[in-house]
Amino acid sequence: MNHAITAVIKKDFQAITANRRLFLSLLIVPLVLTVFVPGVFISIAHFMPEDEDIQMLLELLPRSSWASTMELTVTGLIFNNILPVFFLMIPIMASSIMAASSFVGEKEKHTLETLLYSPLSLGQIFRAKILASFLMSMTVSLISFAVMLIVVEVEVFLLMGTLLIPSASWLVILLLLSPAVSLIAVTLIVRGSAKAQSMEESQQGAVFMILPVLLLIVGQFTGVLLVSVWILLGLSLLCMLLALFLLKRAAGRFTYEMLLK
Amino acid sequence: MQTIILENLSKTYPGGRQAVRQVSLSLGPGEVYGFLGPNGAGKTTTVKLLNGMLTPSGGCCRVYGIDPSAEPAKAHTHSGVVTEHAQMYDNLTGMENLLFFASVFGLSPSDSRNRARTLLRQLALEDASDKKLSAYSTGMRQRLSLARALIHRPEVLFLDEPTSGLDPESAQNVNQMIRNLAEKEGTTVFLCTHQLRYAQEVCTRYGLIEEGRLLASGTLSELQRDILPELPLFVRVQHMPHGLPFQKTDEENLYQTSIHSEGEIPCLVRQLIEGGGDVYSVEVKHPSLEDIYFTLTRDRRRTENTEDTPGIQQQDRESGKEKII
Repeated sequence: MNHAITAVIKKDFQAITANRRLFLSLLIVPLVLTVFVPGVFISIAHFMPEDEDIQMLLELLPRSSWASTMELTVTGLIFNNILPVFFLMIPIMASSIMAASSFVGEKEKHTLETLLYSPLSLGQIFRAKILASFLMSMTVSLISFAVMLIVVEVEVFLLMGTLLIPSASWLVILLLLSPAVSLIAVTLIVRGSAKAQSMEESQQGAVFMILPVLLLIVGQFTGVLLVSVWILLGLSLLCMLLALFLLKRAAGRFTYEMLLK
Repeated sequence: MQTIILENLSKTYPGGRQAVRQVSLSLGPGEVYGFLGPNGAGKTTTVKLLNGMLTPSGGCCRVYGIDPSAEPAKAHTHSGVVTEHAQMYDNLTGMENLLFFASVFGLSPSDSRNRARTLLRQLALEDASDKKLSAYSTGMRQRLSLARALIHRPEVLFLDEPTSGLDPESAQNVNQMIRNLAEKEGTTVFLCTHQLRYAQEVCTRYGLIEEGRLLASGTLSELQRDILPELPLFVRVQHMPHGLPFQKTDEENLYQTSIHSEGEIPCLVRQLIEGGGDVYSVEVKHPSLEDIYFTLTRDRRRTENTEDTPGIQQQDRESGKEKII
């Protein structure tokens, strides 16, 4: 990677971590989704009664999802089918604040013009901004996964005396789908930030326009997870191609004049 | 080689405001060019055009042989820019800010650190190098911006009001630095300001701009010759002889006349002495940049009021370069 692009990414990372309030707010959602929610779900699975209706519902699931007891089947279902979807949301939420402020934040602090006087092309500046937010989202996502894995395995071991084996879909989600969806979201939010005249406008754009669309996609993937890991892999590759296309065209028709307006 | 070239450069903003109108000039290495005019004259727009931040509506410009609107990133490798709106990062220290911009400009880590230390020392910011920028005063920020613009040793330096917010001592320090850069390293300095006295201290050549038009351009003596060709000569004489072209002033024994060059003085003094006058002092008052600027703008307004405006515009279009009065 270009030395100058790396410098911009490092500087943007530093700006987020230096602002403790912002950094903490960025960690709250992932912590809730990876520590609190799985903890509650697994406790419910452990303490729920052996209900016939639930048994019938579980029988509708593919045979590969069945385990030795109903408790473990439900826990496995939560672990391999519901929690992975969180990892489509976590990176987007973690990066949305940083991506939304990428251009308009610099404009408001009068630092954008200084950056534009550098020997970086507009395309390189856009890529640097997108990659900074993307790397932040992936860092938060991977740390969240590690924390979640520890919390879930410890809880399952203490309550049920066994360990859960992550399914192959986890690998596809974490290494392909989650980065691809995150990259798409970040690219769109950064472009919105470049067009926005104020921080509020950029954040509203991110929250009210992009997040609902992405959450809709996230909802569909809950079903795909049940069908086949191969379909998941195919869709992930498609998303990755779309993400790379958007990244390449990130600067689009933007000009210096438009950015400084 | 000319480092900065403007050829009939024009910029009209989308709203229809003509910020720069057919400006032509060229600068060589080591020149400190004062681009002077009131607020809203088109100085900052010209700097932005020369750095590719704006696209010209007409004409073209080149910086170090590069068209900044076509290859802005390449042009930026040769230029450093200080403007009011080009600030630095508050969450970083002075040193961190300089190191960041050094790495963006491709300097090696060791070279970056050495260069940053040198510039901080030259601009008397050494003690504040580890302080966050949020703790800097306006003057300190301005000096750090200059250090940032110089970090990659640019061949062309654009300075927009570089001494605004500086105390007199710091301003003097910055002036000395600008002069050294031009004289010793051959840096071309394009300095925009509305402070004419300040410009006269540091610049080698001047361009006077108003409402986007370059009214005149040249060295101080060229501007004096073209705009105020008559120099006032004051002599303090007892017994002024008859028949000499001197007029009495309000002050006792002080007389005034106009000359076109200092070469006329010996002849006039000789005539005074031969006519029986006792000469106590002889003084030529050279017009300042302020005198020239105000004469130029006053004359222009007078011409605009008396003549047809289309006639003036026609003249502008034809001459284009250097002097448009």
